[in-house]
Amino acid sequence: MEKVIMGNHAVSYGVQLARVQVIAAYPITPQTQVVEMLSEFCADGLLDAKFIKVESEHSVMAAVVGASIAGARAFTATSSHGLALMHEVLHWASGGRLPIVMANVNRALGPGWNVWTEQTDSLAQRDTGWIQLYCETNQEVLDMVIQAYKIAETVLLPVMLVLDAFVLSHTEEPVDIPDQAAVDRFLPPYQPKFRLQPGNPCSFYGLVAPEHWMELRYKMQRAMEQAVEVTQQVGAEFGQVFGRPYDVVEKYRMEDAEIVLVTSGSIVGTSREVVDELRAQGQRVGLLKMRMFRPFPFVAVREALAGVKKVAVIDRNISYGHGGIFASELKAALYGMPNPPTVFPFIIGLGGRDVTPQSIHKIVQYTQQYDKPAEEIIWMEVKR
Amino acid sequence: MSYDVPEQELMTPGHVACPGCGAPMAVRYALKALGENTVVIIVASCWSIIAGPFPYTAVQVPLLHTLFATGGSVASGVKAGLEACGYKDTTVLTVAGDGGTFDIGIQALSAAVERNEDFIYMCYDNEAYMNTGIQRSSATPWGAWTTTTPVKHPKEQPKKDMVAIMAAHRIPYTATATVAYPEDLIRKVKKAKDIRGSKFLHVLSPCPSGWKSEPAQSVLLSRLAVQSCLFPLYEVEHGDKYTITVWPREKVPVERYLRLQGRFAHLKPEDIRYIQENVDREWERLVAKAKASGQEIPSTGG
Amino acid sequence: MSNDSSTPKRFDEAKVIVFQSEADMPEVAMSLATTLYNKTGSWRYLRPVYRNKTPPCNHACPAGEDIVQYVGMVNKGDYEGALRRILEENPFPGVCGRVCPHPCEYECNRSQLGGAIAIHALERFLSDLSLERVLPVLKPVAPSAAKVAVIGSGPAGLSCAYQLARRGYSVTVFEALTSPGGMMRVGIPPYRLPREVLDREIARIETLGVEIQTSMRLGDNLSWDHLKPYQAVFLAIGQHRSHTLGISGEEGPGVLAGLDFLRRVNLGQKVEIGPRVAVIGGGNTAMDAARSALRLGAAQVAVLYRRSRQEMPAIPEEVDEAEQEGVRIEYLTAPVEVLRTDGKVTGLRCVRMRLGAPDASGRRRPEPIPGSEHTLEVDSVIAALGQDADLSCLPEGVQVEDNRIVIQETGATLTQGVFAGGDAATGFGTVAHAIGSGKRAALAIDCYLRGEALPSFPPLTEHVHAAPREMDPTVVRFEDINLAYFTEEPRTPQPQRAAAERVRDFAEVNLGLAESAAQREAARCFSCGTCNACDTCWLYCPDVAINRHDHTYEVNYDYCKGCGVCAEECPREAISIEEELKWKK
Ligand SMILES: Cc1cc2nc3c(=O)[nH]c(=O)nc-3n(C[C@H](O)[C@H](O)[C@H](O)COP(=O)(O)OP(=O)(O)OC[C@H]3O[C@@H](n4cnc5c(N)ncnc54)[C@H](O)[C@@H]3O)c2cc1C
Ligand SMILES: Cc1ncc(C[n+]2csc(CCOP(=O)(O)OP(=O)(O)O)c2C)c(N)n1
Ligand code: SF4
Ligand code: SF4
Ligand SMILES: [Mg+2]
Repeated sequence: MEKVIMGNHAVSYGVQLARVQVIAAYPITPQTQVVEMLSEFCADGLLDAKFIKVESEHSVMAAVVGASIAGARAFTATSSHGLALMHEVLHWASGGRLPIVMANVNRALGPGWNVWTEQTDSLAQRDTGWIQLYCETNQEVLDMVIQAYKIAETVLLPVMLVLDAFVLSHTEEPVDIPDQAAVDRFLPPYQPKFRLQPGNPCSFYGLVAPEHWMELRYKMQRAMEQAVEVTQQVGAEFGQVFGRPYDVVEKYRMEDAEIVLVTSGSIVGTSREVVDELRAQGQRVGLLKMRMFRPFPFVAVREALAGVKKVAVIDRNISYGHGGIFASELKAALYGMPNPPTVFPFIIGLGGRDVTPQSIHKIVQYTQQYDKPAEEIIWMEVKR
Repeated sequence: MSYDVPEQELMTPGHVACPGCGAPMAVRYALKALGENTVVIIVASCWSIIAGPFPYTAVQVPLLHTLFATGGSVASGVKAGLEACGYKDTTVLTVAGDGGTFDIGIQALSAAVERNEDFIYMCYDNEAYMNTGIQRSSATPWGAWTTTTPVKHPKEQPKKDMVAIMAAHRIPYTATATVAYPEDLIRKVKKAKDIRGSKFLHVLSPCPSGWKSEPAQSVLLSRLAVQSCLFPLYEVEHGDKYTITVWPREKVPVERYLRLQGRFAHLKPEDIRYIQENVDREWERLVAKAKASGQEIPSTGG
Repeated sequence: MSNDSSTPKRFDEAKVIVFQSEADMPEVAMSLATTLYNKTGSWRYLRPVYRNKTPPCNHACPAGEDIVQYVGMVNKGDYEGALRRILEENPFPGVCGRVCPHPCEYECNRSQLGGAIAIHALERFLSDLSLERVLPVLKPVAPSAAKVAVIGSGPAGLSCAYQLARRGYSVTVFEALTSPGGMMRVGIPPYRLPREVLDREIARIETLGVEIQTSMRLGDNLSWDHLKPYQAVFLAIGQHRSHTLGISGEEGPGVLAGLDFLRRVNLGQKVEIGPRVAVIGGGNTAMDAARSALRLGAAQVAVLYRRSRQEMPAIPEEVDEAEQEGVRIEYLTAPVEVLRTDGKVTGLRCVRMRLGAPDASGRRRPEPIPGSEHTLEVDSVIAALGQDADLSCLPEGVQVEDNRIVIQETGATLTQGVFAGGDAATGFGTVAHAIGSGKRAALAIDCYLRGEALPSFPPLTEHVHAAPREMDPTVVRFEDINLAYFTEEPRTPQPQRAAAERVRDFAEVNLGLAESAAQREAARCFSCGTCNACDTCWLYCPDVAINRHDHTYEVNYDYCKGCGVCAEECPREAISIEEELKWKK
């Protein structure tokens, strides 16, 4: 069934189809419609879930941790300050190996209140042990909610789905809403491997001495590594069932490309248009869409960029004192490759400033113009 | 004599509480009251250590260690998760220290009880952050020494009245208890178990290390706290029905309680008088509330 | 590794988990065993130990009863066990429960919180139950078939005979009088000690095989040679010779010796007394004579005593009861002459006394007040001034001092095979002391006859158990009791017949406790120094390190951290704290 819905509602439909059992959430612009719709689903009996309306995002994450360790499929959504407030508990969820799924609507962090899109909030949680998947369209948002549970419950790590504020969250697009029965077959009920089970006296997450700590963390990293492959498998399977396959990265018109744009989220859509235009002009420009940020898909990225001369990384985020986060991660991933491409690190569109096709054109032009970047960070469209 | 205390033992020895610590006693009694169909949530505190390091446990029911500020929130999630998995009648018991309750966790706790989540929250109050080495909390009493309220500058604020705060949420059940009165504690936990909604238990729990008291005297101190009316044992139903559950036999001067603890060693006679006046006033207020709730006041109760 | 199993796991053994590699580990920090692996006992430098200590009541009981234990049994409703426990130590609970001055109660720690436990009333309660229990003979008859002779069937003699019989000896008791019991029969009147009670308790002794030959007086119709076949002899002939007044007019009708008077009354012989009777003396004999005189129909009975009430040796309750019944007691009064007209007693010339400096006994010596002489009009005078032993029957070699047979703590005299006890040897003058001394001798004779060294017993003033229990000799004092566990509860009074009614006959004055009252009373007992399975230690141990099975406890030293809460909280000082050896210099 196709519906024209905003990104936030795509999240809600995905949650409904995934038959989530416990939801805890706290409102924050631009995520509110996710929880509003879920509240209605629960109230109307369209979703048999307990919705815990907690008082803060810290409590949100704690509540979903509690629900998950008790054996329930749990969900939440947040953004920006809310995500930052959860930080401590994000570790508890991942270290606890709990397959929680959370949608984060990318939004800038204050001060200076700013409700518009920017990836700094989610990328700041890079090291919390969460799988991070970035979405380009509302359809992808919905599809990824369903896949995220399958991935999370396989590798026992939580998944953060990321979508841009307003550009996706509030923008209506036609979305195919899959059939519940098909989703049920694709995503069977959660079978926890361990949980708080009355009658089974087992304690969780107590004191771990240094003699055991590294092994537990090693296992966590192995799970992360495994998540790349699992995500690919799940994406492929999803494609077989629903006709929309997914991978950890997506190569767009990359054949014999000299310059490849690397970006994520809604900028991918804008970039696609520009690539199409430039390809029409015969320019050898391609696009690599980063769907997965954590775990970092080293193999896929290296394979995709092997032989490429220049890579323009478009970051709508910044790690102060370093630069665009995708760019620095990509550089690290390419390090040691024979004849690696030159990386041009662009920062653009912070705090929701529009990223137009013209902006992307300028980025391509810059990349074509220079042999190597003239600065450590190439700031786009900053009045300076 | 013998006690009306369930036989069932749901704690194992080998836990690592300090000798004479009240904290394991409180949980042991609570578990006796609750039985096996219980899930315990341990908020960051001494109990995070007491319960045993990985891969061991001192508690014979499922147990979840959780973050300092999450006593109320995690419990809400666990309860919802258990219900979703078909465990509708499992009791969820949160165990937290005074720091986790009065301070960092008060927001999540207040919210959880405002939602009237179906769980029991038990705060074992040793009147400071003990796990981190005896720092003051808002439960630390006036005049007490801690490492952050040194003798030259002991705590200047009164102890936060947490029970009043909880009662103000109009939750079905709020009560105080302490380890010297296990039967009272167990009766309250059992009562709480049978009530749906949020139940709050404030348990005074001596800490020999932090109170600078004799380990052997923990139960004695707990008893003196009650018998001096410094820590009365009572319950509040639906926020306004007060019932005193243990009446002091004869009111013991607080000085007896204070003098057994090194953390009060610096107090001058006028300080003790001040504390006594406060205790007397608070006790009178409590008795008045109990009376207004229709409780008969025994002759020793004045 | 997963914990999702349908069969719940139970962890109850100490198990150490070792991970060889990360592959052995679960995904998360979850428990796979209990903290039992962690032997926190190694933290301990103080060690609690269950150590029963001596309760003051036990300590004070001359008969050596295990009071704390039987009161505890009464509390649990185990009357039979309680009675058996008494009978191990004392064959006369019915007697002692009635006439013992109960020094145990004076020492009882409960005195300071509502009044002493009515120990004697509980003892009597047990003896009154229709539990006709005869304890079994402990050991079979010794192969040597040793025979023991006991001279005198008072409490000392019968206690010795009883304990020996229980140890398998064949015992013959020789009694001068026509019936057995000694002062229990011929001294103490039946309104205090009904004869059925006495008979029943003596019969119980006989059931064990003890033979009592009455009308056999050593030195008279029983010669020392007669006793040759016996391998040991126990002398318990009591004190049956009354002291005299030593004043003029004493000789002749109308003046009776207290013991003679009582013996005749108690044996049902006829005694003539006038309507106005004066009894001289301040002991039990005086009180019993006065009260018996009332019961024989005397209209006025006065007791004259040289000192004040404080010094009076009679049991205080006895004095109260005598006064309730109308006996007038004139303190600080002494007779100087019996006045007679035509040989008939008409009055008693008396003098007032005052108390001067203390004498050898530590009591203040009474001195006559000059010019205070006065006359009491009386028809009969009973001289109850005390008694001593007639030791003329003793054979050569048995050493005597101060008219008492000289004995050691074991009751042994200086003559091989001859033991002695009771009033004739100790002069203590109570049934309970006599019982205790008979028991000591029996235990010693047992050793003697088996060729073993005689036991080392504490001084005669202290007690000896026939069935000893492990107990630290430290006596528990009131300060040792944890008062948090006890409230002030009044002592349960024993009902009595009304004074006006009871003087009409010799039926018993005290009516005994009902079961509910006995229960209430037993429940008041602190159980000083004696674990009574109250669960307090088990309940409060912060380390779950007290194992409890079937009313006994054991500290689990693998885990006990030595905090001392158990010992501090024990309501009754039954736990001691000791330093761990490794900490001792
Ligand atoms: C009037 C009175 C009231 C008392 N009231 C109490 C009381 O309330 N509570 C209490 O505890 N104590 C009381 N006493 C004291 C108590 O009765 C004695 O201390 C106790 O009986 C002593 O026991 P015994 O076995 O040593 O001697 P006795 O009881 O005196 O028994 C000695 C026995 O030996 C016999 N005998 C003596 N010479 C010979 C011989 N040569 N050959 C064979 N047999 C002989 C005697 O006839 C007697 O039967 C009272 C004493 C009297 C006199
Ligand atoms: C967010 C956070 N801040 C600080 C700590 C450190 N911390 C752990 S336990 C504790 C004190 C706990 O005090 P209380 O709740 O009174 O329990 P107690 O240790 O006294 O039993 C602190 C400060 C923490 N675990 N988490
Ligand atoms: S520090 Fe205090 S509260 Fe913590 S375990 Fe030790 S005694 Fe108990
Ligand atoms: S309270 Fe009981 S044990 Fe203690 S002295 Fe009295 S009777 Fe004996
Ligand atoms: Mg604390």
